[in-house]
Amino acid sequence: MEKQNYNYAIVRSFVIWSLIWGLVAVLVGVIVSFQMVEPDLNFPPYLTFGRLRPIHTNAGIYGWGVGVIFATFLYIVQRLCKTPLWSDKLAKFQLYFFNATIIASAVTLLLGYTTSKEYHEMEWPIDVMIVILWVAFGLNIIMTILKRKDEQMYISLWYMMASIVGVAILFLVNAAAEPVSLFKSYSAYAGTNDANVHWWFGHNAVAMALTAPPLAMFYYFLPKSTGVPIYSHRLSIIAFWSLIFMYLWTGAHHLLWTPVPDWIQTLAMGFSVMLIAPSWGSVFNGYLSMGGQWHQMRENYLVKFLILGITFYGLQTLQGPMQAIRTFSAFIHYTDWVPAHIHMGTMGWVSMISFASIYFMIPRIWDREIYSIPLANLQFWLILVGQLIWSISLWVAGVLQAGMWNAMNSDGSLTYTFMETMVEMYPYWWARAFGGVIYLVGLIIFIYNIYMTVKKGEPTAVTTATAEGRA
Amino acid sequence: MDLASFVYLGVTFGLFVIFVLIVIRTYNKKNKDKGEVAKYNMLDDD
Repeated sequence: MEKQNYNYAIVRSFVIWSLIWGLVAVLVGVIVSFQMVEPDLNFPPYLTFGRLRPIHTNAGIYGWGVGVIFATFLYIVQRLCKTPLWSDKLAKFQLYFFNATIIASAVTLLLGYTTSKEYHEMEWPIDVMIVILWVAFGLNIIMTILKRKDEQMYISLWYMMASIVGVAILFLVNAAAEPVSLFKSYSAYAGTNDANVHWWFGHNAVAMALTAPPLAMFYYFLPKSTGVPIYSHRLSIIAFWSLIFMYLWTGAHHLLWTPVPDWIQTLAMGFSVMLIAPSWGSVFNGYLSMGGQWHQMRENYLVKFLILGITFYGLQTLQGPMQAIRTFSAFIHYTDWVPAHIHMGTMGWVSMISFASIYFMIPRIWDREIYSIPLANLQFWLILVGQLIWSISLWVAGVLQAGMWNAMNSDGSLTYTFMETMVEMYPYWWARAFGGVIYLVGLIIFIYNIYMTVKKGEPTAVTTATAEGRA
Repeated sequence: MDLASFVYLGVTFGLFVIFVLIVIRTYNKKNKDKGEVAKYNMLDDD
């Protein structure tokens, strides 16, 4: 095969920075989890739960999540298209601008500048930076795809393009605002329209930033790790198109029982339930791709991360639609059940796939064997156990909370005061903080393993993907 | 039903038709080999 001069330097840089922002996200997450149980750990005005919580979510989604998207997409697109990047200079600009945007976001959020829109808290100057960043990224990926060597596009490329286009549309529409000063703007929409647009963005950011990209990674790194192709490329195509057609209607399930028109809520509920089909299409495609290869769950640490990741995706995409049903939503909405749901998605599904993707790329982009596979296995168990502890404890807390909120005396008065329901949460919040610490330790081990690989790893001896992850 | 409702339903139905056409084309026996070739090619990018 013709040797290509792929740009791995930019992939290496994005891996490093995504790890840094990932560490910030999890560290701040652990801090705010302790602030919930020990209010004295809030230090106003900057280091309070209200200021730190959006830093946790934005560092997680945009620093860690999008950082890994940049790293993996820039790697995958070169490999699948068998051609170098369209523009190395644009990629370098993207790297610097990415970090500038994340730092600007963190500083302004700490200072209290916020639109108050969840997952879109940054004020308008940073919105402008994000648009420039995304255009630079999208242009480079799409132009590289256009000069690919193979006519048929592998499914990962479809998901990558959907993510680029989808995020652009969602962000631009939701960001529409009228600036009144350098750090203050007002939404272009009002009342329920604003809420509807916001959750159309909010939920579909989950689709286009936290579902399509990990699926692109999963479909690329699973066969590369096992050495056998996916079960069905045609099934992956159908799952892709059905996901694209269905996802964008579901955002209003965040607004059940609100003044948003009833038919919009029903529509969102219906499409949310239908969304199980494309989601599980990918889950089963992943499982069936393991036919005759299940022994690799024992032998290949990459496969463990990938299969547990897709399993969490399957669980997540069953739990999500159930939560979108009115009667169930009435019970669990606004309780601690919901953060457990999103954490299973971000830390179970997205992060598992991200860890596997980085582990797979490291030997190729640094020409070093992974420093310690036992450490990788230890990390796997720590993040799995940590994530399960906080998810399960918060699910239990959510059900308890909902039950107490709904409990009524025979005369129609509430059985419990709100403060009484809060006090009952403490054991579960301690469990969450404890689970977070375990996850943080797992992440630190991951970073240490990568650091030692780069510093002291043996030069790569094996270049075939099949043997990459054998433990 | 007003005009907006008809337009809304029309767009929804139109999208559904496009999706059905994609399914038919993808699973057409003539396209079987073409539809699966990418999964083999991707293994050969090293």
